[in-house]
Amino acid sequence: MTIRPATAALVLFFAATLAFFSLSAPHFATATNFENLMSGFSFVAILAVGEAFPILVRGIDLSVGAIVGVVGMVVFDLTLVLHVPGYVILPVALAVGALAGALNGVLIVFLRLQPFIATLSTLAAYRGLTYSISGRQLVPGLTTTPIRDPWIVGIETYFDIGGWLGVSKFVTMPWFPLSFFIMLVVFAILQTAVLATRFGRDLYTVGGNYEAARLAGINTTRVIISAYAIAGFCAAITALIMVARFTTSTEALGTGMELTAIAAAVIGGVSLAGGIGSMFGPVVGAFLLGAVLLGLTLQGVPQFVQQIITGVILLAAVGYDRLLALRRQRRLALSLAEAT
Amino acid sequence: MSAGGATALPELARRIAPNALPIVILVIVIVFAVAQPAFLKPDNLIGIVRQVALIGIMATCTTFVIMTGGVDLSVGPVLAIAGLVSYYSLEADLPLALVVLAGLSMGVLVGLANGAVIALLQLPPIIVTLAMLSIVRGSALILGGPEQHLIRNEPAYSFIGAGSLFGLPFPIYLFALVALVMILVQRLTPLGMLVAAIGDNETAARLSGHRTRATKTLVYAISGFGAAFAGIIQSSQVHTALATYGPFGTELDVIAAVVVGGTSILGGNGSVARTLVGVFFLGVVNNGMNILNIPIDIQLIAKGGIIVTALAIAARRA
Amino acid sequence: MPDPQPLVRGIGLTKVYGNLVALKDADFTVMPGEVRALIGSNGAGKSTLVKILTGAIAPTLGTVEIAGKAAPLGDPSEMIRRRVSCIYQHSNLAPAMSVLDNIFLGRQPTGKFGFVDRGRQRREALALLERHGIDLDLDATVSNLPTVKQKEVEIMKALALDAQVILMDEPTGWLAASEVTKLHATVRMLKARGVGIVYISHMLDEVFAVCDTMTIMRDGKVIAESAVADIDRPRVVHLMVGEKLARESERAAHQKRHPRGTGEIRLRARNLTKRGVFQGVSFDLYAGEILCLTGLIGSKRTELVRTLFGADRFDSGTLEVEGQPVTFGTPARAISHGIGFVPEDRHRDGLMLDMTMTENLAMAMLDRFRRGLILGRNRMVEAGRRAISSLSIQPPDGTRPVKLLSGGNQQKVLVGKWLNRSPRILILDEPTVGIDVGAKAEIYGILRRERELGAAVLVVSSDLDEVMTVADRIGVMVSGRLAALHDADAVRMDEIVREIGEAAA
Repeated sequence: MTIRPATAALVLFFAATLAFFSLSAPHFATATNFENLMSGFSFVAILAVGEAFPILVRGIDLSVGAIVGVVGMVVFDLTLVLHVPGYVILPVALAVGALAGALNGVLIVFLRLQPFIATLSTLAAYRGLTYSISGRQLVPGLTTTPIRDPWIVGIETYFDIGGWLGVSKFVTMPWFPLSFFIMLVVFAILQTAVLATRFGRDLYTVGGNYEAARLAGINTTRVIISAYAIAGFCAAITALIMVARFTTSTEALGTGMELTAIAAAVIGGVSLAGGIGSMFGPVVGAFLLGAVLLGLTLQGVPQFVQQIITGVILLAAVGYDRLLALRRQRRLALSLAEAT
Repeated sequence: MSAGGATALPELARRIAPNALPIVILVIVIVFAVAQPAFLKPDNLIGIVRQVALIGIMATCTTFVIMTGGVDLSVGPVLAIAGLVSYYSLEADLPLALVVLAGLSMGVLVGLANGAVIALLQLPPIIVTLAMLSIVRGSALILGGPEQHLIRNEPAYSFIGAGSLFGLPFPIYLFALVALVMILVQRLTPLGMLVAAIGDNETAARLSGHRTRATKTLVYAISGFGAAFAGIIQSSQVHTALATYGPFGTELDVIAAVVVGGTSILGGNGSVARTLVGVFFLGVVNNGMNILNIPIDIQLIAKGGIIVTALAIAARRA
Repeated sequence: MPDPQPLVRGIGLTKVYGNLVALKDADFTVMPGEVRALIGSNGAGKSTLVKILTGAIAPTLGTVEIAGKAAPLGDPSEMIRRRVSCIYQHSNLAPAMSVLDNIFLGRQPTGKFGFVDRGRQRREALALLERHGIDLDLDATVSNLPTVKQKEVEIMKALALDAQVILMDEPTGWLAASEVTKLHATVRMLKARGVGIVYISHMLDEVFAVCDTMTIMRDGKVIAESAVADIDRPRVVHLMVGEKLARESERAAHQKRHPRGTGEIRLRARNLTKRGVFQGVSFDLYAGEILCLTGLIGSKRTELVRTLFGADRFDSGTLEVEGQPVTFGTPARAISHGIGFVPEDRHRDGLMLDMTMTENLAMAMLDRFRRGLILGRNRMVEAGRRAISSLSIQPPDGTRPVKLLSGGNQQKVLVGKWLNRSPRILILDEPTVGIDVGAKAEIYGILRRERELGAAVLVVSSDLDEVMTVADRIGVMVSGRLAALHDADAVRMDEIVREIGEAAA
């Protein structure tokens, strides 16, 4: 498997960022901070991985944040209003997310809507739905009731890996949140699916040349709907992690997260043109953004400047990607010329 | 393109199709008026126009961007920062003209930055304007902090947003002015045709001798101008400048208005006049739903459903 | 012995797009071991027929039988399942994926759980390459390969299917002579195995070399069928272009030529070089003449003429327009010097498909209609009307979007866009590709008219018949070099053919 130069550059940049902040930001290179990084951005990474799928098939999903909201509220209602046991809630939540995502795919394939427009509409609709089903409105007392179901709350668990490995005698290790391992599992499964299965090949083909995929007999409808369903599924996992952290859910849960997910995916080298990228980039991209935000905070940089820097990083990532593409084109033209 | 021996109904449908949206608006107005007569009261109707004025100004100015196949996600923060710049100009005792000029220039500058990066570096508009959204929002927060800044004792400035002329709120006149100018630019100037040409086939436009990069930069500047104008009006209206005005969702409302009006998100043929129709359509629906006391959640779901329906029909026609 | 069953049978196939009848009542049969050529000019309906047979589109009327059983229409996966495969003319590869994955596009062999069986995939691919004598780097990314190699990937992709019927749409367009030989050897090998092959090609030499039978199409209909042995080239050409154009061609061949036109040099190119693309190209273009640049695809003629228009830049050499040295950084500058350019791909580079005829016709001269800030639409509409009438564009309705026009009329709009400016120099790149025979003749008439009006016309064309018909002078480009320059009435077609082919070998 060849490593794309863009991916290598991303990892290097990530390492450089960690190094930079370790040196210049107080308390950055501490166990606590890395714990914050993992617990605060593992779910962002999962969302970014999910968002990568629609982008890979040359689309986009603006509604993942709203899907997080819907699933979060579903979980809230099921546990606090209907008192459904947690081990039932978990699969239901995942199913709701996948279905919400699949609906996006259906609108795009069968109504022939542009992905931007279709997911813009579901963004509004799902956010509205979140308000509609909100248990917080129905039973006001619940706004202050924390969720206690062990299956849900258990997601927010930390593991003293250092202690287990006996390493904590030498170095203070961060405690690893379960969400980090969930992220690893999700990453491993989806990365394998995308790189090693026929479904993955079909995904790249549809994104790389839709007409070629169609003519090769690929069921493009199934591929596209699956891509959006996976995005919804990942949004559901994100919602579960967040609800576990806050022990509650609000109508505004997930607002704006789609932009972060898109940014992380694009920084991670997933091309908006489709057909290029893997799950690895979005994960690194998410933690890169996380490291930058945490590092700047520790440096005392006001949050507002952080926003600016996030924007600049996004621009730089896209610009760099384009630069690589241009250089590739030029090299190709020259090598072809030499061949003649 | 006539199908020989067509029956009356498809022919009628074909004639109506381009004007479907205004007719739907009419139908909706009638439905709402019947359900709640208060809907038709002049106060309410004027209220609708006033409410849509801000989105309307932004949507008419962003139409060209969308016609070139691009998108401007940064309009929300530009709205906020223009208000802040105006506020600080007022604090500095600058004359009204300079205050407004400062605010508008801010929007134009951001637009030029967007346009330059998109046209010259050829980076995707979604990402560039998304990044700019962050950058401008952060800049606005640095400039003004998270606090509200009250605009006091500025009757001239306040008139812009809160004054009225001949019984109509002043912003309505401003909205009408901007809309009129943009419609005229589109219908009467080469720019109007050029923008559609670039969206339709940028390569062909360049090979026809047009300065496509300059044009693309210009349309983003216009979009920034519109957002800044809206920001000035809003801060004047509520007598407050706040770095978090134009919250997330503003840009999507603006794009929705343009797209529901009939301009394709992919670019090409489009029309500012149709954007107006889209703006009013969404405004009427919003207002009607509010008057009927339809809860916010249903409103949001309805909004999503409306956009899907409007565009699915458009896709079918294509 | 019972009659062998046809591998593929198209019966009464008709395809209508709105007003346009692309295919009318076509019957088509391929027997096992038969290599059937499908011949016709662009716009004759060949592509439509092929697309129906591969399931890319569904016909409006008619059926397709595979091995005697009716097949579902318009579904590529069904046709693939029935072992019908196709080498398409345009790229049908996933550019960012490897050669190996592209060969098995959509069908990579899988093991458990849908995991791709990489080992088996590689083994099968290597065996395939070996069997057909093709050399490809399986791990290369397709978009990094030169077009020639990409074409080979396409061929392997079609062969990997182990199909019963293989359609090859202009398979040799990008291949060098040695590769064409290899392809023909493959065709014979497949034929011996009982595979049916449909060979769509303009290259009559190849058809006569490797095909058994031929179907000739014109204007969407099947005009004739014949065994290759029973027919000769002149008759084929005659059937292809129809009586009218054949006669006109002959008449045109006897027309007076005007090499060097009025004697006034409009454009002077000296030693134009672009590293790796073309070298040392020098020629003069005169007012009142039509100079045709011909050669194989890949001889870099398009790349050359784009630099004459400012759409690209050359690295060294000089260019003079009407005596003045010029450098064109952008098309706008070339246009201001009176140059017009009709690009090769009218859909991709030439027309705004959703805009009206009037708008497209005015696209290169908006400035002329502008008074101050205002665009004079009335004058634009009027100018459009005049152009439509003078070029006989059908239907004569300036408000119609050009995407609804036939290929020929679209091309007329594209040419008309420049004629409106009365260009001093008019450059056209493959102006009659994909348009029907009648429109072709009209375009030739338009070019001759411009020549009479004193314009200098430069035409890039791979169609030798076309070149012999309209050219006053003929330039032959080979691999980026201008190999020869002839007066049209001083050279014969087979000499040109030899020049093109010789230098390439």
